[in-house]
Amino acid sequence: MKKLLLSAMAVLSAAALSACGGGNEGPYAGQTLHVYNWGEYTGENIIADFEAETGATVVMDNFDSNEQMYIKVANGESFDILVPSDYMIERLIQEDLLQKLDKSKLDCLDLLSDGVKGLPYDPNNDYSVPYFWGTVGIVYDKNVVSEEDLEKEGFNIFKDTKYKGDIYLYDSERDSFMMALKALGYSMNTTSEEELNEAYNWLVECVETMEPEIVTDEIIDNMAQGRKALGLIYSGDAAYVMTENEDMGYFMPETGTNIWSDAMVIPKNAENPELAHEFINFVSSYEGAADNTETVGYTSPNAEVMEEYSSEGGYYYGINAYIPRTGNPNDEVFVYDETTRAIIADLWSRVKVAASNA
Amino acid sequence: MKTFSRLSVPYLVWLFMMVLAPMLLIAFYAITDSGNGIINFTFTLKHFAKFFTDRDFLLILWRSLVIAVKTTVICTVIGYPVAYFIAGSSDKVRNALILAITIPMWINMLVRTYAWIGILSDGGPLQRLLEMLGFGSPELMYTEGAVLLGMVYNFIPFMILQINTSLCKMDKSLIEASADLGADKLQTFLRVVFPLSLPGVVSGISLVFLPAVSSFFIPKLLGGGQFFLIGNVIENQFITVGEWNFGSAISMIMAAVMMCSMYLVRRLDLKTEGKVSKARTLPGGRLAS
Repeated sequence: MKKLLLSAMAVLSAAALSACGGGNEGPYAGQTLHVYNWGEYTGENIIADFEAETGATVVMDNFDSNEQMYIKVANGESFDILVPSDYMIERLIQEDLLQKLDKSKLDCLDLLSDGVKGLPYDPNNDYSVPYFWGTVGIVYDKNVVSEEDLEKEGFNIFKDTKYKGDIYLYDSERDSFMMALKALGYSMNTTSEEELNEAYNWLVECVETMEPEIVTDEIIDNMAQGRKALGLIYSGDAAYVMTENEDMGYFMPETGTNIWSDAMVIPKNAENPELAHEFINFVSSYEGAADNTETVGYTSPNAEVMEEYSSEGGYYYGINAYIPRTGNPNDEVFVYDETTRAIIADLWSRVKVAASNA
Repeated sequence: MKTFSRLSVPYLVWLFMMVLAPMLLIAFYAITDSGNGIINFTFTLKHFAKFFTDRDFLLILWRSLVIAVKTTVICTVIGYPVAYFIAGSSDKVRNALILAITIPMWINMLVRTYAWIGILSDGGPLQRLLEMLGFGSPELMYTEGAVLLGMVYNFIPFMILQINTSLCKMDKSLIEASADLGADKLQTFLRVVFPLSLPGVVSGISLVFLPAVSSFFIPKLLGGGQFFLIGNVIENQFITVGEWNFGSAISMIMAAVMMCSMYLVRRLDLKTEGKVSKARTLPGGRLAS
């Protein structure tokens, strides 16, 4: 809901901005670009700069879950740019809701890091250009949690009673089940009900013995203040936490984690695909990508930007959360499967019920 | 008369579309099993069975009732003196006070609850204050206390306004009569004023208890993801799990619980009305004669 309010404000301010920039000159003067993106997910200058360069007006709406975005798009609302996550792009492609990118109009594909190019959901980047990417891992207080425990236990550290009452879980069925399945040594994309049930029992045991707080974005500020010892977190949020508080570390268990990416796509019913291609180029360029990554904290798919921000003197130097892990065979990209989604959603709500009664 | 009764047609249509039809739909979902479509379905009671055979769900229902009762009691205990004070003030002061209580209600409840997140959060003003007073830095957010506070804060105006109305409507001559007949202030309050204000208390109770028992965004915001009340379970079934049938079944169970409590409150109301009318005939009757 907080995001909802913020998005409302973002929309208002975007409207106000565009009202000011009405008389701009530029190749796209008078045209409008409708962007549908996550809340708090854009660089501070990117929209204004794009408007100044093209003369177009950008109207941005925000969503706070892929599913929320999906409903609007599937119901025929028209946007020029969407920024969904990997598995949702897969679904949108399957349901024929996206148009193929015109690669002759794109000059940004060569700028991407190898690790984020040609991911399984869109092997040739025919439909999508990555916007941010990262991993899911454990944010921990280096003064309280020993590296040794992390190495030894991996995600099972969330069941180590040494840290009882000192942990945050993330209120997302997908990430919670990823954690449990990986702790048990299974694939996060398993469709086996047996394995899912085992993961469910793992989570129930965790919430019943560990007194966790199940939160969403509150984890960011609270870990930055060092309120608890351990938490499940997105790498980009961890990067922010670590820039704020040097006692915090980020750990990815050897048993594997989720490599995720959010990417820009153009829906079939886009009104201005031309301008949308322009926007994709702009966001992926050095300036756009740098602005995004510096403001938001997530890893840039632009290889040069990622390199510069993570090397010595860079804004995220020494922050391991900023660089997504490559080369661990246990790391996986999430695959969408409606049956499994329904099972996991039901089980996760049961976990929360169990947590409330614990 | 007939022409006037026609004016109620838009209201009846509205009532049907916005109240009755959704209710029927929920009832329908609750006893069928078809996912979210209503073309192919089979009747079943398994959703109710699922709820009543699961200790976890029953516990949540119990906890929701307990916290709603706590909220109602606190609202009554705090609300009554406030309402009494307001009712006893001069007209000018009373209007100002009523306004002061009503003004926050002009702001959306959700926004006001968000304000509490800021106040209660770690490192927030309340925690700092407690720290300064030497209470350490207790965690305030994501506790039952926070949820209770949020509920009392949001629902107490209903209690105060109801009690205040019934106190103001009271015939002041009854109090004078009670004094004339030798009752001291405490006796007058206990035997005349309080019984006469009970209808206000009763309607205040139902206005506080019912929203409190089904509240879902207050526990969600102030209690966190590990603080589920029955309203959260229902919301979860609809929004994330996608089990509309089970969600509807729980809604029906909630509706039944609410109707039972309304019935109990009404019985309380009838009983007190009996007493009140007795109280009215005795001193009032003598005064009149």
